[in-house]
This record gives sequence, structure tokens and C-alpha cells, in this order.
Amino acid sequence: MINKSQDQQQLKNASNAALASILNLTLLPVISFIALYLIYKKTTPNNIDHYHAVLGIKINIIAAVVLFLVSGLMILFGGFNSPWTWVYVISYFTIVHTAFIIIALWALVRSWSGDKLFNNS
Amino acid sequence: MKYESQGIAKMYFIAAIGLFVGQILFGVTLGLQYVMGDFLFPALPFNVARMVHTNLLIVWLLFGFMGSAYYLVPEESERELFAPWLAKLMFWVFLAAGVLTILGYLLVPYSTLAEMTMNHLLPTMGREFLEQPTITKIGIVIVVLAFLFNIGMTILTGKKTVITLVLMTGLIGLAVFFLFAFYVPDNLVLDKYFWWFVIHLWVEGVWELIMASLLAYVLIKVTGVDREVIEKWLYIIIAMALISGILGTGHHFFWIGTPDYWQWIGSIFSALEPIPFFMMTLFAFNVVNKRRRDHPNKVAVLWALGTAVMAFLGAGVWGFLHTLAPVNYYTHGTQITAAHGHMAFYGAYVMVVLTMISYSMPIMRGKKAANESAQILEMWSFWLMTVSMVFITLFLTGAGVLQVYLQRYSENPLPFMVVQEKLEIFYWLREAAGLIFLIGLILYCYSFFVKGKEVGVVEAIAS
Repeated sequence: MINKSQDQQQLKNASNAALASILNLTLLPVISFIALYLIYKKTTPNNIDHYHAVLGIKINIIAAVVLFLVSGLMILFGGFNSPWTWVYVISYFTIVHTAFIIIALWALVRSWSGDKLFNNS
Repeated sequence: MKYESQGIAKMYFIAAIGLFVGQILFGVTLGLQYVMGDFLFPALPFNVARMVHTNLLIVWLLFGFMGSAYYLVPEESERELFAPWLAKLMFWVFLAAGVLTILGYLLVPYSTLAEMTMNHLLPTMGREFLEQPTITKIGIVIVVLAFLFNIGMTILTGKKTVITLVLMTGLIGLAVFFLFAFYVPDNLVLDKYFWWFVIHLWVEGVWELIMASLLAYVLIKVTGVDREVIEKWLYIIIAMALISGILGTGHHFFWIGTPDYWQWIGSIFSALEPIPFFMMTLFAFNVVNKRRRDHPNKVAVLWALGTAVMAFLGAGVWGFLHTLAPVNYYTHGTQITAAHGHMAFYGAYVMVVLTMISYSMPIMRGKKAANESAQILEMWSFWLMTVSMVFITLFLTGAGVLQVYLQRYSENPLPFMVVQEKLEIFYWLREAAGLIFLIGLILYCYSFFVKGKEVGVVEAIAS
């Protein structure tokens, strides 16, 4: 739980960072990532808002790599005009993208209560 | 159990589980018929098995909803059920109607069933999911009206809560929209148009209200989070469900002969349809994160969280996948629809009924929660059924993408049956996943009979 020295502003920043993270994964890609980076710049290490800003950046960078790089490699090696390429790419992209959204969603909920992603993290 | 009449839910839940087993048995049979076309033919033709599979789903979910309402409403209204005898009577009427209808499908040709039940007097048979003889449909209306009267009077003469208000709104909607099953215009476009008033406005409209209220009820009970907090969430969720879902019906009107504007309306509003499911996940995660107690019924909490996540996945994400008109132009009526249908029904409605059963059944059997061994077994069944459903969906999605490409997108489109042969590997994999689902379901049923160490009382979490 958030301790008394961590003020409401931190909690607000943490929530905003987690929100920007999930928006980048869903409705507002890129723009939300810039917002997330700006929030990160305002935070101080070892605070909960810093933790959530870093977590959001990590989630989104990993998601970008895992989604676009792997899908790109699938298209590159499978061939753009092969139906099987699209079988793999669409199934893979949908399920992995959703997994990242669910993780970001849990991060958002945890940021609201001033907690880290997991109790022991 | 606070009120004796809540116990009526038990018979509804037992019937629901029994019919669920039947539905899955027909499901795995159908899965095999996809790859072995003459399996059980002519005793059980594919079209009949499919009709039984889908009709059993609808009937057992209705049993589940009614059982849930009979359990939930007395407790929320703080009084006994208005007429317990009516609930018991309607149970037997509904069960008899359901079983006779299924036997009718299985034992006589559909056209003979239509003749036997005098369909010509008020023709309503022959439409997908609404294949029931007219007399059965009238029976459903009578049962649902009696049910609504019973639940409605209990609510009106007792305490009113947001949960019962939302539940009642959903149940009234269920009854009202079913009436369109009796309207069968000669014009095929109008026929399809109003058919969707039942199908779509049920599953992407009023059933979402029922689902949200049941989920909210269980979450209040297992987390101890303030009712006010949950009720605010509930209002926002159902508002979004109706805002997006009602005009979202338009995504079924893209290619049936209706005006072009439906492509815009349907695309825009159905693109919003994942929002209520997204909010339900956020809501469930939030209240579990802020829980004030560790309820001994851990498996009910697991089902509740699972419902929110899987509904978002199946109804939200997989719905969005093929809901925009330019995409749907290629995908409608393919295995992508089947993929969405399977996961959405399981995630949203099967799981919410199982959540209610998981929470209430131990209480109706005189315990706070099932014993430790039974809960562990039920958790196994949760994971087996849920993971296998994810795989069923993925295999059907793979089949659907390949089907769209070969049959509708490529420069030299192949005929339907030629493409079906090429999808065989996906159908075999889907069948394997279906069998694992069946194993999960058997474990689920068995978990009710397992003996073990009783679990402790509700533990408060220090804030």
C-alpha cells in the first residue's frame, strides 16, 4: 500500500501513467506513449508513480516488439501472399495484444490503490 | 441461506448443468461430423445435432438465469419469494417443454414435428436458433411471464436495490424481445431484420444487463466492497452496453438487403461494444483488488474474474475483430463468426451462470463454501474448460482466416466444400480441444460430490 509520505499527486501520476499505458495499447497509440514519457519525466525514482510510468513504458515497448517485430518476421518469412501467414499473424496478434491489454488493465487497477503490479514486485 | 425460498434455485441449477452436459456432448459429436461427415448418419444428421447443440445452450442458460434470479432476488429484496410454488411449477413446465422439444428434434423429421405441433396455425419454425415449435415458444412465454411476475412481485413488495433493478430490466427485455420470434414476415429481408431483434438484442443487449447484475451481486458477496461503489460501476456498464449494443444491431444488417447507412451505423456502434466488457473487467479487477475480506469460496472469485476476462476476450475482442463493415464483407458467416460465438457465449453467459452456481450452491447445501478438495477440483475444471475454449476459438479463428482467404479474398476463389477440406486440420484440433472441454465439464460435475476438509470462515483483510 502507499505510505503516508507518498502524496496524492504521486497517486494521480501513477494512475495517469497506467491510463496512458493502456490507451497506447488500445485507442490512442503513439500519442499516449508520448504522454506516458512526459509523465515519466516528472517522476522521482523509488516512488509509486515512477514505478507505474516505468512499468507502462516497459509493457508498451515489449508489446511493440512482440507484436510488430514477431508479426513482421512472420510476414517476412511466411510471404505476404500466403494465406497461412495471415492465419498465424491474425491469431497471434489478436491473442497476444489482448494479453498485454489485460496486463495493462491490472496495472491500472493497482495504480489506483497505489500498489505495484504484484504484491512482491 | 437467509431465505428458505432461495433454495428453489437448486433445482434450476441442477437442470442447467444437466442440459449443459447434453449441449457439450452434442458439440463434440458435431465437431467429429465436421471431419467425418457420415458419423452417426442418418441417425443424427448434422443439422439436427447443430440445432440441439444451440437450443440446449439457450435453454440451459435460461434455466441458469432463472435459478440465479430466484437465489439473488429474495436476498436482495429481504423477503421470501412471492410465490415459491409458482417457481416450482414453472420449473417442471419448462423442463418438460425443453426435453420434449429436444426429443422431437431427435426422433422425428423436422417437417413432421412442424405438422405434429400445428405450426401452420402460427408459423414460427425454421429460423436458426428459434427452431422451437410454436407451442414450445408459447410455453416459453408463459414460463417467462410467470417468472417475471414472481420475481417482479418479490422486488416490488420488498427492498429495491440497483442490482435487482438492473436484473429486472434485463429480464423484462429478454421477455419482450423474444416476442419477435412470433413475427415472421414473408419478405426475407424483414424476416432477417426482426430475427436479429431476438438474437442480437438478447446477447448483445439485455443479457449483458443480466450478466452485469449477477456479477455485481457475487462480487459484493465475495469481496465485501461497498455496495455504492459497485452500483456506480454497474450503472456505467449497463449504460455503455445499451448505448453500443442497441444500434450495434446494425452489424447484422450489412448484407441482408437493408439500406447502406447501416454499414456506418453498425460499424460505429458495434466498434463501441467492447467498451462495456472492458469496463466489466476493470470493475471486477478493481473490486477484487480492493476486497475487504478473503472469502473461503475462492473458486467463486476465480469464476467471477474469469467471466470478466473471457467476456472481454470473446465478446469484446473477437467481436471487434470482424465487426467493421469492410472487414465483415469478407468474414461474415465464416468460421471467424463461429470462433467469436463460442468464446463470447462461454465467457459472458456460461461463466456467469457457473459463477452464480459456484457461489450459491454450497450455501444452499448448508455450507459457506465447498470443501477444499471440491474447490481444487472445480478450479481444475475452470482451467480445463477455459483454456480449451481459448484453443477452440484460436483453431476456429485460424480456420476462419484461411477460409476467408481461399474462398473470398484470393484472385481465384475456391468453392465452399473444397475450402472445407483444406480446413480439416483445424477441425481436428478443435475436436481435441472440445474433448478436453468435456473432461473439464465432467470434473466440474464430479466436484459437487467430492468429500474433503471443510474450509474456514470469512477472513477480514486488514486495511
